[in-house]
Amino acid sequence: MVRIDFNRLRFLVVDDNAHMRRIVRTLLHGFGAREVYEAEDGAAGLESFTHYLPDIIITDWAMPIFDGLELTQMIRQPGANANPYVAIIMLTGHSEKRRVMLARDAGVTEFLAKPISAKGLYQRIVNIVVNPRPFIRTKTYFGPDRRRNVNANYIGPERRKGAKADVIRQAPLLDKARIPGG
Amino acid sequence: MAPRKNTAAIATYGDHEVIVPENKLRGAILVKTEGELDDPVARAEQALAGLSGHFDAWMDTECERLDKARQDVTAQGFVKATKDALFHAAHDIKGQAATFGYPAMAAAADSLCRLIEFTPMVERIPLKLVDQHVDAVRAIYREYARSDAEDLARLLTRRLREVTDEFLLRENESRPDVLEQIRGPSLVPE
Repeated sequence: MVRIDFNRLRFLVVDDNAHMRRIVRTLLHGFGAREVYEAEDGAAGLESFTHYLPDIIITDWAMPIFDGLELTQMIRQPGANANPYVAIIMLTGHSEKRRVMLARDAGVTEFLAKPISAKGLYQRIVNIVVNPRPFIRTKTYFGPDRRRNVNANYIGPERRKGAKADVIRQAPLLDKARIPGG
Repeated sequence: MAPRKNTAAIATYGDHEVIVPENKLRGAILVKTEGELDDPVARAEQALAGLSGHFDAWMDTECERLDKARQDVTAQGFVKATKDALFHAAHDIKGQAATFGYPAMAAAADSLCRLIEFTPMVERIPLKLVDQHVDAVRAIYREYARSDAEDLARLLTRRLREVTDEFLLRENESRPDVLEQIRGPSLVPE
């Protein structure tokens, strides 16, 4: 059985709402994390990302200065910072289809809709650690592979040109992870 | 903090690259036997329960913030700052209501978010409709101890949502993409 040693992970929580930061921090400490840093807007989040080099960023969407989507776009700039591959969880009250697509296309790794739950957050973190996705770079996109599943019924055109343009399979370590209550 | 060097395997195809970064998080994976398993989710839920003594006061603060944002809209009209403040206040209540133990507040706050987000010219939003939303959110909070609070909240929210949707559909008549969003379901699972 697989478990995560949260003590070996460094988190950055970016949210303008102090109550929400406290809740996320409490959950992470409950999982066993010790290194949890906080930032109260997108600009401070970018600065903290550069300074603390977190393994996982948990960001809100709606924030002053610049928002979680813009923060993600700034981080997903190959060569512009120390770790453009950092895992990003978008934790937001927005759950409309258009918003989910926008977040995905900006390069977020996982999407988690509020209200937050311990189980939901834990599952996203396990997925990030145990089942990392490769990154795709095109003229218009840089971020985690957006194709999570093979759709046998897909009949549209292949949008990626060249060989191996299908889903890139990763070692299914996640199958070994037993998620409590999952 | 000194950055750890990134290494990645890159394969180039016709119009894209597939990059497999080094998995620096792999060291955090522990393999345990059945007997060694604990329950981190239960631990986190317990930690969150330890915070619950603050939730009433926190929701009180959020409601005051919403009311202040409404007063600013009334005094200054819908300008970017007042619009953003009202939207963020409603949006935060929508996201936190269930966590704080007031799940029935979320839908009324959501209706206010939709009203602001999907109205192309916010200055056309009737202030009375804003007032009705803010008053509804605060009333649901205030009366939450009542045994029929959730039923009342449902009735109130349903009516607010009907009036809001009627307004939004009229205001977005010429924007079929927005109409689709207004009518569309959420993709995100519970």
